[in-house]
Amino acid sequence: MITQPPHVPERLGLLATSAVDPFLTEELLKGEQVHGGIDLAKVVEPLHEDDARWWVEPIRSLVEDAMFEFREDRTRADAWLAPRLHATLRLTRREAADKRLWNHIALAVAPDYVVWRHRSEPTANRPERRVAAERFRGPADRQCFSRLWWAAELFRNGPDYEPVEAACGNQDLIHTVLRGGLVDHRPTAQALVRLLKSGKITTGRDVVGLSVAINAAGATLIYDVLAPDERRDPVRLRDWIAEAESAPPVERYELPTGPDEDPVPEESVAALTSYFAELFETAPVRGRKSGD
Amino acid sequence: MKIYPYKRLNRPVALRVTSVSLRLADGTRDQLETTAYSTQQQAVALGIAGHTDWVSATIGLSATLPPGANAQDAPWSDLCVLAVLTDGETNIRTSAELTRDAPDGRDWSGSVEVLRDDHLGRASLAVYVVGTVDGVSGRSIAETDRSWIVDTASDEPVRGLQLEVQTASFKRSSREWLQAYADAPWIVDASARVPTVFVNTDVEGVIGLLDSNGSGMESKVRDLLVAQMATDVWTAVFHGAIGDLEVEPGAGPVFPTDWQGEVLREMLPDVVPGVHVEEALRQVHRRRTGDSGWVELQTRIHYAAVRRADATKALAHVIRSLEQMNRESET
Repeated sequence: MITQPPHVPERLGLLATSAVDPFLTEELLKGEQVHGGIDLAKVVEPLHEDDARWWVEPIRSLVEDAMFEFREDRTRADAWLAPRLHATLRLTRREAADKRLWNHIALAVAPDYVVWRHRSEPTANRPERRVAAERFRGPADRQCFSRLWWAAELFRNGPDYEPVEAACGNQDLIHTVLRGGLVDHRPTAQALVRLLKSGKITTGRDVVGLSVAINAAGATLIYDVLAPDERRDPVRLRDWIAEAESAPPVERYELPTGPDEDPVPEESVAALTSYFAELFETAPVRGRKSGD
Repeated sequence: MKIYPYKRLNRPVALRVTSVSLRLADGTRDQLETTAYSTQQQAVALGIAGHTDWVSATIGLSATLPPGANAQDAPWSDLCVLAVLTDGETNIRTSAELTRDAPDGRDWSGSVEVLRDDHLGRASLAVYVVGTVDGVSGRSIAETDRSWIVDTASDEPVRGLQLEVQTASFKRSSREWLQAYADAPWIVDASARVPTVFVNTDVEGVIGLLDSNGSGMESKVRDLLVAQMATDVWTAVFHGAIGDLEVEPGAGPVFPTDWQGEVLREMLPDVVPGVHVEEALRQVHRRRTGDSGWVELQTRIHYAAVRRADATKALAHVIRSLEQMNRESET
């Protein structure tokens, strides 16, 4: 298993996807050997010098804590890391949509974490342990760190990261749901978390079955009318980002606090939760016998 | 064609942008000229005023409902009209209710606010007419058939995919990865956020040629060169988009939500003609991941790229100019 590269940069930068390939070696994907870091630093575009958010150390420290704490059960690291990564980085969505930032974190800052978290278990068919390249430079819902950041952004309820923990506790939920645009509507995201927490949906098949049903119903129903959301105030997010300068490291045992935005209107979450519960009763879910 | 289990209006909503203004970082507003939006292209360009410090944009809208929306015996009630702004890159979905201009009219108007922090490139704007039908509220009974594009960076309201062209000395560029391509006149980077052509300034005179304008032979050759680059780009982005497809369990491949989706929707009718784009996408995906048929498809992909790039037109113009030149030198 690899450790961090000999040379880890002090500050985050932007790493173009087309410049990534020479460093995504077979040895790295197998978790045998990591690049030295020096050559990689040459192809990185720097970010603004005077922005406290781009210090690498807080992220390095988070991933090391995660690898220690969850060494017995690495999938559980997602629920722990997602809110803390989000509260450490303090990005706008515009910034987070730039894949070059995530390329840099995965490849220059914490390739050892990507390998630790995503290296496959040996199976009879594929005895070789390997990380899929998309975990380093893939789409937003697959890349190791961006999927966690987006899960935190889409499932947080204003400043409250508690729903993020619940959502990331179910691999299928973030896997299936992040891709589709379903949870871009905040009340929908909160309603899904409620169903998960109440135990109405539990397995991956439940999640897939329910999201197919929601999408099918959504073809004729406009959820924004059934469950209206409040407008978000852009100033609150900006303030939170500006506070990065003076913010202490994120809490390790408690959940951190997100931007001070209004939570989703309670009536909207309640209305959608009961509507989805009804949909789910009648949705065809693979492996579930009718009448269960 | 979708089947709806209830009555709907069978014509689309007509949507027009009526005004665009930017709110700047210092709190002032800049009302943009009408050149910031194009009704024909159905596109808005928020980069047109050259501000880099805008905070939000307010886009004024007017929507006309299809005939029958207000019919006395209509099967719906609680009519409301909603403008919905979505952005696949940033997972944004915001909606704004429009209000009816006159009590019995079919025109509704209002505005949507676009926050700069929430977008990186292009967002898409649609309008839905929603009502209660058969006791079910929130039913969509009509919508726009083609979304408007809101481009947060572009300075020209055009709908089609815009390539970015960058020039660099491949040998000396600070982008070290370009050095590997030092003997190529240009390369295409399809993995960038928007497809980018890097033109190698080490090829002497290439910038002069690309910047040339006017009607002479030089500009014809330039157009031919651009068409060739564009062909390369379209081919590269098509392969890029088709290679990254997500597959929905039980439902097949899904269209990407960013410009890759736009590329596929535009090219697929030429790659697999005569079927719906959804079916075309399934066929192409099957041929790429299945046993056979991928090689045979390359000709169609090339054809689709050549058509997008207007290569025939550029070539015809060069040939015509050459003929004229030859004729003049003979006389």
